[in-house]
Amino acid sequence: MGTPVKDVELKDSAPQNLLLDKHVAYIEAYSAKKDEYEYVMTEYLRMSGIYWGLTVMDLMGSLDRMSREEVLDFVKGCQHECGGFGASIGHDPHLLYTLSAVQILSLYDGVSSVNVEKIIEFVSSLQQPDGSFYGDKWGEVDTRFSFCAVACLALLKKIDAINVDKAVNYVLSCMNFDGGFGCRPGSESHSGQIYCCVGMLSILNRLHHVQADMLGWWLCERQLPSGGLNGRPEKLPDVCYSWWVLASLKIIGRLHWIDRDKLVRFILACQDEETGGFADRPGDMVDPFHTLFGIAGLSLLGERQIRGVNPVFCMPEDVIKRIGVSMQLL
Amino acid sequence: MHGRLKVKTTAEQQEAKRKEREKKMKLYNAATSKIFQKRQGQEYDQEALELTAQILSANSDFYTLWNYRKEIFLAFKEKSTEDELHKLFEDELSFLEACLKGNPKSYGCWEHRCFVMLTMPCPDWDRELMLCNKYLEYDERNFHCWDYRRFVVKRAQVTPEAEFEFTTSKISSNFSNYSSWHYRSKLLPLIHPDPKHPGGVKDDVLIKEFELAQNAFFTDPNDQSAWFYHRWLLGRAEKQLAIDCVYVSRELRRVMVRLSKPAKIGADLSLQVSLDGVQCTGEWTTPANSNDHSLLWLFNLTAPLDGNEHKVMVAMEGSSRSCTLKDGDEKASSVDEVKPGTLFSYQLSAATSDTLTQELDACQQLYELEPDNKWVLLTIMLLMRAIDPLKYLKETLEHIDTIIKVDPCRTNYYKDLRSKFLIENAIEEQGLSAKSVDLSNRELTTLRHTEYMCTAERIDLSNNKLSSLPGCESFQCVKELELKGNQLKSCEKMECLPLLEDLSLTDNSISTMEGLRPLTLCSKLKKLNIMGNPLCEQDDFVEELRNMLPSLDTLIT
Ligand SMILES: [Zn+2]
Repeated sequence: MGTPVKDVELKDSAPQNLLLDKHVAYIEAYSAKKDEYEYVMTEYLRMSGIYWGLTVMDLMGSLDRMSREEVLDFVKGCQHECGGFGASIGHDPHLLYTLSAVQILSLYDGVSSVNVEKIIEFVSSLQQPDGSFYGDKWGEVDTRFSFCAVACLALLKKIDAINVDKAVNYVLSCMNFDGGFGCRPGSESHSGQIYCCVGMLSILNRLHHVQADMLGWWLCERQLPSGGLNGRPEKLPDVCYSWWVLASLKIIGRLHWIDRDKLVRFILACQDEETGGFADRPGDMVDPFHTLFGIAGLSLLGERQIRGVNPVFCMPEDVIKRIGVSMQLL
Repeated sequence: MHGRLKVKTTAEQQEAKRKEREKKMKLYNAATSKIFQKRQGQEYDQEALELTAQILSANSDFYTLWNYRKEIFLAFKEKSTEDELHKLFEDELSFLEACLKGNPKSYGCWEHRCFVMLTMPCPDWDRELMLCNKYLEYDERNFHCWDYRRFVVKRAQVTPEAEFEFTTSKISSNFSNYSSWHYRSKLLPLIHPDPKHPGGVKDDVLIKEFELAQNAFFTDPNDQSAWFYHRWLLGRAEKQLAIDCVYVSRELRRVMVRLSKPAKIGADLSLQVSLDGVQCTGEWTTPANSNDHSLLWLFNLTAPLDGNEHKVMVAMEGSSRSCTLKDGDEKASSVDEVKPGTLFSYQLSAATSDTLTQELDACQQLYELEPDNKWVLLTIMLLMRAIDPLKYLKETLEHIDTIIKVDPCRTNYYKDLRSKFLIENAIEEQGLSAKSVDLSNRELTTLRHTEYMCTAERIDLSNNKLSSLPGCESFQCVKELELKGNQLKSCEKMECLPLLEDLSLTDNSISTMEGLRPLTLCSKLKKLNIMGNPLCEQDDFVEELRNMLPSLDTLIT
């Protein structure tokens, strides 16, 4: 009895070169078609969508094709009295979209155009006595929110607004037998969650808690024969994991443990030659989310046509330098 | 955004789809604006429930609408009778079930279900548990459902023992179920805690688990779940925080301490230094001057140490270590030598040696059947390391060569692992107080355990494959550093080496003056060999280098 490996096969006809111009055109067009079905139906995550689009454009050196004023007006319009941001105008404030808003503002060097004090108040008010973070006032707890809170405050240079030791201890209580991290204590390891926890520990200079060799092994075992990475054992490969797994490996100094060339081939095969953009897997529909993570992954892998990406914040390295945020990398 | 296959469509189909979408969008826009309007007016009624249900059943990640529903339910709770409420909440649970059918991975749905269960009167937790069973039958890896299950279990007062049984039944129906193995790793220490090791599991229980994992990987040797679990069972002993080494340098007026595990002085522990019985005041720093958690810590004495004998004691709560600097000596250190072969076994040694030997035998049997199975090879290597790293070195290295052939994707992982093994053995063989450490000609691709070389004065890393020197800031006593024949591009972190006098970088990949800049801070550096680096092909580099490092006596290019 053998379990077949879940994987995909790359066709010879799949794209093998980076189609940068097409991706720029795809993102530009996507943001312009505001009354299209796809766009309307994803309004509940608009703030993150804008962050994905702007970041990938900046990484491709085309941020100037986006409308700074329009974006900043939108972001400002999404801030609530409590200080948090919603995904869109009139949508409820949440840490996920507050981080996206702060990332957009940082990208555009426009943080001063919103009420920063209030953001800090909002973020720190969501910390719980056990160190965890609610995503919003309704009380869902997740280590993703720990990352959002810490990343937000780091970009705003106000880390001391929360109880750092408690925040760290909570995240450590979500560490698992495989060296990875889950959503809450007891939850299974997942690459996205690992990225959040390792990123958060990196910002707070606590990476010594990570069992880097153990976790690095688990992470490099995410690479499948196709070259693509999955997010958990026995799952299909997906371009967004090229980001979460790779960035985590980069943070713990073990990026070279995967086969670079094979992964590059897989990511490139997920491009859509007709429309531009990247899909989760070859032959699927493209979207801005996978386009950002495809491009950011290629950047980490050293693709020279793309600007350097910061592995913790998933933002251009020079933006992080300009703000002067420091982090620990093993 | 996931798993949507792109299908070729005709112009006709596209037009039909466009029309259909336009219709949907109109409905969507009308409904959402109505909803937001009603919410603005604080209308918490049946109509609002119906409108939001329309949108959420197709778009379950629209979190704001779930929030509105929560407000509606809280409002109803104020004004409805018990029976009305019961029906409302029951309907909501059915609605959520329908939503989850369409989108079993929606964070919003699962979270809202938690809210409903916590808010409704007399929630039926047992029914929820059955629901989880049903969902996990459909998808045994849905982590949302597993998390919801843990949420329910806590409230339904299900015992960890019962949950453990559940994972056993899941695993026996399909070994390849990572989620169940994971859950077991959480439950075992709760049910059978090892009184000797916090977080550990009792020996007799461990043996049963080893059997289960063996069963799984004998059935399917390529199933990674059981192997990861097995790796965990082997365990990793948690060290007690202690002072492993104290070193004093008269010349640098400095005390160096190596702890048994990384810690931050001032935050995790306080360390007192006393000189001839008098407590000293001063600052602790780390070799890289980061003041982060570290194994190595440096303490600068404010008063000079005259030529006489001095006794330095470093103390923390529950442990101390002293070291006597003899009359006329430049330095002294205190460290316990460890029985060869045991220094690093803590990384893999929660199990008893009998158990380890049995496991090795079992894996050797499987290896006979499956000589190309990477999981077997890797596990054999780790077991050998745990049992006797020195005795098994030759076999371990042969297995590394094989595993690189059968799993070339992870070549660099295995090479780094090999480097780690070789460095551990070298430290074990050469002893913790060796003045000279020889790590040459070993094809090392990375460095590990550099803290254990903190008192070495000569370190030979020549003829390896190092492209960087992670942790080299720990070489606090090194005077002679031999790095010939590597792939170094810079001298990163060498600025932290206060005693460095003689550095050989012959045959490396240094191509810029910038790469050598850290050496400007090595005030004792007298001799530098950079023959055979790309930099040597640049014009005027000798003059530039002389200017940058004016105190060099010997520069070999
Ligand atoms: Zn994806």
